[in-house]
Amino acid sequence: MKFFKYLPITFLLIAIVSCKPKPKSVTIPVVGFVDAFEDATIAQARTGFTDALKKEGFSEAKKTVQIEYSNAQGNIPTLTQIVNHFVSENVDLLATCTTLSTVTAIQKTKTIPIFAMVAPVPERMKVLDASGKAPANLFGAVEDLNYIDTSFTIIPKLLKPKGAKLVIGMIYNQSEPQSTDALNRIKSLAEKQNVTIVALPLNSSADAQLVTQSLLNKNIDAFFANPDNTVFAAFETILKSCNQKNVPIFTSEAGLVQRGAVAAFGADIYQWGYQAGEQAAYFLKNHKTDGLAPQMVKIRKRVYNPAAAKKYNITVPSDFEAVK
Amino acid sequence: MDFYLTTVTLGLCYAALALGIFISMKIFNIPDITTDGSYTLGGAVTAVMLTHHQSSYVILPAVIIAGGIAGALTGLIHTKLKINALLAGILVMTALYSVNLTIMGRSNIPLSNVASLFSSVQIVADANQNTFWILLLFVVLITFLIGYLLKTDFGIAMRATGNSESMIRALGVNTDRMKITGLALANALTALSGYFFVQSQDFADINMGIGIVIVGLGSVIIAESIINWLRITSVWLSLILVLAGAVVFQLVLAVTLAIGVDPNMLKIVTAVFVLLIVSLPRLSSLRSS
Repeated sequence: MKFFKYLPITFLLIAIVSCKPKPKSVTIPVVGFVDAFEDATIAQARTGFTDALKKEGFSEAKKTVQIEYSNAQGNIPTLTQIVNHFVSENVDLLATCTTLSTVTAIQKTKTIPIFAMVAPVPERMKVLDASGKAPANLFGAVEDLNYIDTSFTIIPKLLKPKGAKLVIGMIYNQSEPQSTDALNRIKSLAEKQNVTIVALPLNSSADAQLVTQSLLNKNIDAFFANPDNTVFAAFETILKSCNQKNVPIFTSEAGLVQRGAVAAFGADIYQWGYQAGEQAAYFLKNHKTDGLAPQMVKIRKRVYNPAAAKKYNITVPSDFEAVK
Repeated sequence: MDFYLTTVTLGLCYAALALGIFISMKIFNIPDITTDGSYTLGGAVTAVMLTHHQSSYVILPAVIIAGGIAGALTGLIHTKLKINALLAGILVMTALYSVNLTIMGRSNIPLSNVASLFSSVQIVADANQNTFWILLLFVVLITFLIGYLLKTDFGIAMRATGNSESMIRALGVNTDRMKITGLALANALTALSGYFFVQSQDFADINMGIGIVIVGLGSVIIAESIINWLRITSVWLSLILVLAGAVVFQLVLAVTLAIGVDPNMLKIVTAVFVLLIVSLPRLSSLRSS
């Protein structure tokens, strides 16, 4: 039985010996792509990003670039691990999708260029230094809160209130800064527009039905789905409850319109990724970041869901396109 | 009215979970943390099989078996490797996270337009009421089975294992096997809760199980305080109180929302509410002594 005593030690030794640094191919650049969670809509950004690289001559198929993709599946500790791993591998650039990934990357590296997509402007992410400058290694395509104004002001245009004032229900996530920011923004907008906002917090998808029903109990005319992780996760529950009560859902994100919301005005996620990809390609070509800076996202679109609009008898203006 | 109906329905979803926690807590004196993982496991298996167009009746045994295996693993680690029950649960729960991700293939599965348990049978026209009645039927059936099981020789041995392990071992009962079976049963019930939840809420999420053990514990603690207060010894009544505890726990949340408490205060008010329910019997007994 003495043999068994040494077994774990032997295993450990073998494990340690078999660890060796991966040989980094010097010839082709390596891109570390960090995704925070899994979502069909958000995934379009990655497609856009790789398409832009391809167009500039960096494709995985032709072995001109190596894109290493990791998804944290909504788990923050995993996200930190992923970014640490990429930084220790010393990738040529980091591509980060959504706010969480971007913030994590900014915290972990000051040298590797970060190309962000589906993320807000640096001051919204609270990553400015003492003198109010954004991190020097942050690039990509970003978005400020103006898009919310547009998507929110659609609602009074399309909907007649049941009572004297339009009442709009909203769910926000207290653990996501951008979600709380959006809520505050909407509250200040609503005052100007003579609209009442009823907002409730939802911090875990398990309570989605309870919180939505509680909102519907307060006689709301419409529901504004603020696109954060909990709303993304539990959207089907929210939709089901709202449909039973004949309350239309508006949002600022095209993917949720595809899943059943009435209309939205917001960035086109594919184009957003494409824009960040163009910048990344420029960097890979010239190997310097001079002349690059975080850009505002360029292409926004107005979309509506024909089935949902028909159900609520909402006539959508002609500059909105139907989602497929 | 719909608001409270959906709340009660949600409470019924958690009823199986509360029974599971009741078994692991009351019968084994083991707070079983595997719950967080096995609940999501039940949900993940359900969501994946539903998207592959399997019938709910085929999914049901699959979910029960999956949860049972998870619980049995915790029991094995605890009894055979002599590892602290809490740690055994944590280990299995942690491992289940990867298992659940592998099963689901992604962190979130939306389930719109798939036939579920609640859409396949039509008792009443209104969808919410329909869900409520079907769930009630299932919960009554489960309670009946568990109640009957606890009344058998096997069940009595199981309960005695929690009360006095050394005595029951002296009587020739294999306590290790009792613990493994009991934990398997408890986690099969928990997975069943995940099965109900996913079908009534139309989505499965990798994080849906985080903190769910608190919901189960809350329900059991509410029930326990009443059981001790009224000195109830009947198994049937205890089980019914546990079910009621699960529903009351959700109603507390709903009432807090309905009152319109400042959102930042929501959690603390809920905690105080539950504390009140649990401490009322104690307070009245303090006064009488």
